[in-house]
Amino acid sequence: MAAGGVTTIVQRRIAIVSLICVAAFALIGVRLVDLAMLKGGSAAASTAVTRTIAARADILDRNGELLARDLAVHDVLIQPYSLTDKPKAARDLALATGANEKRLLRMFLARQKPNEFVLIARQVTPDVEGEIARLGLAGLEFDPAVKRFYPKGRAAVQVLGQVDSDGHGLTGLELGLDRQLRAGHAAQLSLDTRIQFALLHELEAARAQFAAKAAGGIVMNVNTGEILAMASLPDGFTDESEVGGGNPFRNRMLRDIYELGSVFKIFAFTLAMDDRTVRLDESFPIGRGFKVGRYLIRDAEHMPPTLTAREILAQSSNAGTAQIALRSGPDRQHAFLAKLGLLSPIRAEDPEGAKPLLPRRWGETETATIGFGHGISVSPLSFAAAAAIVVNGGRRIAPTFLKRSGDARGEQLISPQTSATMRELLRYVVTNGTGKLADVPGYDIGGKTGSAEKSVRGRYVAHKLLTSFCAVFPIDNPRYLVFVMLDEPHGANATGVMALAGHTAAPLAGRVVARIAPMLELPTQAPVLADVSDPP
Amino acid sequence: MIRVATFFCFAVSALACLALYHVSEQTRVARTELSAVHRQIAAEQQSLHTLEAEWGRVADPARIQHLAQARLGMDDAPAMELSSLKLLPRRGDEAPLGEGQVRTASAVVQAGDPRVRLAAVQAGD
Repeated sequence: MAAGGVTTIVQRRIAIVSLICVAAFALIGVRLVDLAMLKGGSAAASTAVTRTIAARADILDRNGELLARDLAVHDVLIQPYSLTDKPKAARDLALATGANEKRLLRMFLARQKPNEFVLIARQVTPDVEGEIARLGLAGLEFDPAVKRFYPKGRAAVQVLGQVDSDGHGLTGLELGLDRQLRAGHAAQLSLDTRIQFALLHELEAARAQFAAKAAGGIVMNVNTGEILAMASLPDGFTDESEVGGGNPFRNRMLRDIYELGSVFKIFAFTLAMDDRTVRLDESFPIGRGFKVGRYLIRDAEHMPPTLTAREILAQSSNAGTAQIALRSGPDRQHAFLAKLGLLSPIRAEDPEGAKPLLPRRWGETETATIGFGHGISVSPLSFAAAAAIVVNGGRRIAPTFLKRSGDARGEQLISPQTSATMRELLRYVVTNGTGKLADVPGYDIGGKTGSAEKSVRGRYVAHKLLTSFCAVFPIDNPRYLVFVMLDEPHGANATGVMALAGHTAAPLAGRVVARIAPMLELPTQAPVLADVSDPP
Repeated sequence: MIRVATFFCFAVSALACLALYHVSEQTRVARTELSAVHRQIAAEQQSLHTLEAEWGRVADPARIQHLAQARLGMDDAPAMELSSLKLLPRRGDEAPLGEGQVRTASAVVQAGDPRVRLAAVQAGD
């Protein structure tokens, strides 16, 4: 140490080294504290691994059952340059993947350069992938891909729709909910897999029994608008020869429009009841038909000379309903059907709702024919939604494929009294009218039959019918609506060779109700034991 | 004194370097293990994802019905619910359904109807 407080060069160097040491210590200390106490946050963050995130979110049914999910799969490619025995490789790969052996071999021989690959199969499942790997071929490559898988197979194929190979929705709810699903938000539908299956199964049985060209059905909650089941046949799982060139994935209940016939009488009567233009005990002349302009409206079956309004609906008289519809008049009928949503495409999550076909001129003749369901074509879902309004107390309901909770009824469109009268009338149709075969012990079903002659080249053909039945239950306080439809059913021995709706669609609706009502926890009350001395 | 202090400083510095290296090495190993665990979790999640989809397929009502008919000889028998499960009596209680005529507001089922016997059996009669 220098005397007099003057620092030497050595001392200054020592001081500098000391400062460097202190700085080094400080740095080391800070890092130690960071690692020991703060757990090296940035280091942990950098270890985050890529999780398996599905490109498209799941679709679930109302009970959480899986309906659609993206699964990680692989596209399989091969470099033909690496293959020593190309014919054998083509044969083995064709066996493992189902690919065409000749096509594979042709491609192998055509692409022999080191940088050329041949696509063997797209979106192979893990089991097929394992099978391919076991072949031990050189030059194989597995490119990661995603496959949309529908575990319930055909059950709701037409409602769910399809996606393209890039995972974009093409049809159905896959298209309607595309944005939500691609954003990774799962969709819980109103569909119930059990009810969907029951409906599909009964439709298939009825279609076979009556040798019908097509069949379809809808189950809907009339208070929430939720669609619990929707199916149409033939579907993509039916023999292609039956489809007749049409798209088997087409949802007929939503995308097709039909002249539904007598089920439409529900609306003529509802309007008449709401406007009080008709009394239920009022008699109308029926026997020889009813003339509107130059047209004579007759009934398909023999009718008595007069019928009361109640019997007109129960016996499904066209001549009687035409008279009732004309009391409302064209303008009022048009406004009423528009209010029920029957004159515009149905709005639901599926964007493919069909546009109804309306008459160019809505005059007296059209008013009369529309009263009994001819001259206007609507989609079955539009019809079901409008019929739900009639029986649910008269309040607007929007059909939906998404699960809802609680009552979703909106604006009052029909008076509650009219709705109650219509429920009573629909029950009368089942107990005393054309819908007797729809009745199911234990459940009070109300409903209406419809047997519409199909139009072929502009003419109605008597033996080509579109039969339908709209059932509502329990009728005193309706919760569910079942609509079923058969396209060109043929009479069976069991029905006395009758193809009308009362013998084809009505029993089908009854079978559907009998099957699904226990699942829907109906009835809630025990049946009444009959007194033997009290004949029914 | 300065030499001692300098030596001490270097010794501590060396020890700290060693400790830091040790911690750093532990971190590296832990990070590798964490990555492996994350990969394993991702693989497990993927398997669960696939298994859930597979379960959805095997639990399909159509498949179960097909198997029940093919393997168990069961048939699509007509069914009629006369009461909800909640209302069925407990064992020993009086059964609400006998062999008598059963009538609801909607329909009458005659006493010989097999569906009534089925309901009576279910009710513990």
